[in-house]
Amino acid sequence: MKRRSAEAWVSACFLGAAAAAVGFVVAYVVDAGPQVLGGLLGTACAALAVGLVLWAAQLLPSGTYVEERRPMQPPEATQTAFVETLHRGSSGTPRLLRRTLLLAGLALGAAVVVPLRSLLLPTSAPPARALRQTPWRRGVRLMTREGDLVRADDVPQGTDLTVFPEGMPRADDATAIVVRVDPRELQQPAEGTVAGILAFSKLCTHAGCPVGLYEQTTRQLFCPCHQSVFDVLSGAEAVAGPAARALPRLPLAVDGDGYLVADGDFDGQVGPTFWRPE
Amino acid sequence: MTGRPARVPRVFPLVLGVLVLGVVLASALPGVAATAAPSPAPGTGTAAPPRPGQTQFQRGESLYQSSCASCHGQAGQGSQRGPTLIGVGAASVDFWVGTGRMPLAEERVDAQRRAPAFDEQDIDALVTYVTSFGGDGPAIPTVHPGDLTLGREIYLQNCAACHSAGGSGYTQVGGQVAPSLLEATPVQVAEAIRIGPGQMPQWPEEVLDQGQVDAVVTYVQELQRLPNRGGLDLGRIGPVTETVVGFAGVALLLVVIRRLGKRAP
Amino acid sequence: MITRWMVRRLDDRLGFSPVARSGLNKVFPDHWTFMMGEIALYSFTYLVLSGVFLTLFFDASTTRTTYEGGYAPLAGSEVSAAYASSVQLSMDVRFGLVARQSHHWAALLFTGAIVVHLCRIFFTGAFRRPRGVNWVVGVTLLVLAIANGFAGYSLADDLLSGTGLRVANAVLLSIPVVGAWAEFLAFGGEFPAEAMIPRLYVVHILVVPALIVTLITAHMVILVRQKHSHFPGPGRTDTNVVGSRLWPGYAVRSLGLLFAVVALCLLLGGLVQINPIWLWGPFEPGSATAPSQPDWYVGWLDGALRLWPAWEPIVFGHRLPALFVPAIVLPGLTFLGLYLYPLLERLMTGDRAPHQVLQRPRERPGRVAFGVAALTFYGLLLTAFSIDVVSKFTGIPVYLLIYTFRVAVPALPVVTGLVAFVLARALRDSGADGFLALTWADVRGALRRRKPVPEAPSATEEPREAAPEEPDEEREPEQAEPEPVRVPAGPVP
Repeated sequence: MKRRSAEAWVSACFLGAAAAAVGFVVAYVVDAGPQVLGGLLGTACAALAVGLVLWAAQLLPSGTYVEERRPMQPPEATQTAFVETLHRGSSGTPRLLRRTLLLAGLALGAAVVVPLRSLLLPTSAPPARALRQTPWRRGVRLMTREGDLVRADDVPQGTDLTVFPEGMPRADDATAIVVRVDPRELQQPAEGTVAGILAFSKLCTHAGCPVGLYEQTTRQLFCPCHQSVFDVLSGAEAVAGPAARALPRLPLAVDGDGYLVADGDFDGQVGPTFWRPE
Repeated sequence: MTGRPARVPRVFPLVLGVLVLGVVLASALPGVAATAAPSPAPGTGTAAPPRPGQTQFQRGESLYQSSCASCHGQAGQGSQRGPTLIGVGAASVDFWVGTGRMPLAEERVDAQRRAPAFDEQDIDALVTYVTSFGGDGPAIPTVHPGDLTLGREIYLQNCAACHSAGGSGYTQVGGQVAPSLLEATPVQVAEAIRIGPGQMPQWPEEVLDQGQVDAVVTYVQELQRLPNRGGLDLGRIGPVTETVVGFAGVALLLVVIRRLGKRAP
Repeated sequence: MITRWMVRRLDDRLGFSPVARSGLNKVFPDHWTFMMGEIALYSFTYLVLSGVFLTLFFDASTTRTTYEGGYAPLAGSEVSAAYASSVQLSMDVRFGLVARQSHHWAALLFTGAIVVHLCRIFFTGAFRRPRGVNWVVGVTLLVLAIANGFAGYSLADDLLSGTGLRVANAVLLSIPVVGAWAEFLAFGGEFPAEAMIPRLYVVHILVVPALIVTLITAHMVILVRQKHSHFPGPGRTDTNVVGSRLWPGYAVRSLGLLFAVVALCLLLGGLVQINPIWLWGPFEPGSATAPSQPDWYVGWLDGALRLWPAWEPIVFGHRLPALFVPAIVLPGLTFLGLYLYPLLERLMTGDRAPHQVLQRPRERPGRVAFGVAALTFYGLLLTAFSIDVVSKFTGIPVYLLIYTFRVAVPALPVVTGLVAFVLARALRDSGADGFLALTWADVRGALRRRKPVPEAPSATEEPREAAPEEPDEEREPEQAEPEPVRVPAGPVP
């Protein structure tokens, strides 16, 4: 490329960048939407980039240079002098002084670690208890997210319902999924079920994702995160994928007003496994 | 070392970037893929043209006997090849036939959405005939404009886990697919909610009332026409396609620096 | 004129012109692969700029609030302040969505460029003495970039990022003995704790960025102090650097690259949707969206979670969580291996000498094999994070894909590693320019030979023989930096 024509190209790029930048301002003023805004500002930068690169390649002095590299190691004497400087005044330090300083350092280090305990919010229960318990108790009514209490008739076969303990629609560890099957198909004792209605923890025992997919003909629950499958009829045993435990079951009963209630807490640890005695 | 090394590595990132961007663009335009896929001519959906003077019921009967009875039985009692149709209700017939899933092009587990084999009148005739088998299955729902915000909430709670938040569908156990909702008509969405076709759970009146169904249908319509705010939507499937585009971006920048810098001899 | 005046004023106060002059004369090797790190640097620059803009609109709080903005399907919904402000920023603030999307794209480019840069350093042996320090700094930067990416992805409090946090919660819980406390201290309580978002925010915009800036500075200072390495070639020795001077050519070129990176971020940010949080919806207890994936730099871990078998053995009377191996042990070993690799290779080869001239990858077939096997392994894990999406588009059952990957992840790296080994050896022994120049005889020869040909080890030494001048070891350390010397006929074609 001749020098003149290179200059023309570079200035054309810079002009283009300026034009796109002005266009961006106009687009911003008239609120032209993200596509136009991003497109124009990006174009301005791209034009500038092309101009700069052309400039560097065609117009600026180039050439190969050789820079000498000195060895990293300085002469022995320089090194010795530095080490001596470091040791200045250290020869006479009593051993007791050094040891107590070390002790002080360790103690101080340990002391500043302790306040990390405050990271656990005062409102939280200690981990072992919080992880083992959910708000479900005997007699707590089932409630949908919209706040409706649930009767047995509200759970026809083929549907699935996400429920929470009454009044606690944001209690994540209590989330349960309620389905109804033909009681004769159940491959486990019917206690804790009401007319074929079963409730399981909705949190996958693998990584804790809500098991949101219910296949009504195969009666399987499918986790969208890591593709674990749980078989409802056998008590939500994990049948495929990376989950190793069944979904804990929430025992159900019916209260005096005909509403479905829990008959206790889940029958196992809810959510992802943590290190605990088996 | 003499001369330049082979040119392969130099063009490789460019080719990769272009290929990936091409794939992305293709997948970002679902319309292209949808129209490109030929809808197979339904094998069993051909029926004689209506005779003059034929009532809707008679028309339905003749269509049923020619296209449905071989699997579902002469009187809808079902057979080894197909379930009973007694009591399935008008919504079910309208959904399965209206989405082109029935009659099946070939016997397979999950029927695919296709262009319907019958026109609207013939579908109505089939609905009339099949519902005459008896039973109290759900009627064809009517839909009204609903509450968009409520619809979004219900959709994300109940539908997004299978059909994906963007409505583009998702895989199920065993390679089946919860289909994309982006081509479904409002009535078909409402029908599916009520009847639970295939593996889908059903939501009868006692679980989702009419207002809630209207809301969901309204939100699904909104998903269908949402302008792609912020550019190509990459199939609305999140980080998988974003990763592909991100890598294409890195490849593009590698091409840029390849142009900027020289190659060592 | 004005320049002279300014330099004089500055020299009055700082006496900076000698230092600045030697800085401007710094020689950069001309090979294009030396700019990979610059892509990462400039992506980070853009991340900081766009990130500052975003902080002005984002409200890092889980307090419940009502969204009142222009996105109709969310109007009147009660959501967290974090989600409401994220949607508001995307829908109602002009340029807000471009800033958010380009910030996210820049994060993908940043981590991607770091990995590419790492590969270049690895395959050319640039981590050897004296650059082990900078290798450690660089690997730490990669860890921090991944951590900050995940923290940023989690801030919007949408359903997808909430699902990501669920998995992070499960990962922390899976650590034996201390897991429960680690999780509760990190998140402030049982998931979903209200402290999560504000804490992640502080980590994302203050703690980790400060560390990254510090370490990038250290990375550059060490680089300037040690000077660049360079590829073997005529006139290139362990005692010099051959290339272009910083000022003006290289600086302008590099400035061009800065704008190219920013342009790509902005164009992607404006024209290609990323993380449409308004579609995912707000995080709600008990809700999930599908498909559910993290960004790619954590995606390999997500893939490992999908593939690791359902296995929770009882250890010391305790149940060992299934996540522990794929989510804690795997990344732990990965980064430990990365940190220690220079040391391990030094132990294996016994090569303790400092090197300023890089190796061509083929010079170490064993290293090439290891690197290619590792890339295959992590590439497969990353691919496995998309099995559900692949299944949806191909109709192949998810479980078939899982079993296929369970075989491929351990097996395929062995195959690719062996192939890479043979090819690298064939290239080295034949002296062919590239793969296309290889003949079958070369490959057969590489297959047959157990030991490398005797001349191979001297390949690194070769440029030294061509060195035009001897290293001057008597040089005084105090002496001013020597000027780069122009080479009349550039050895670079």
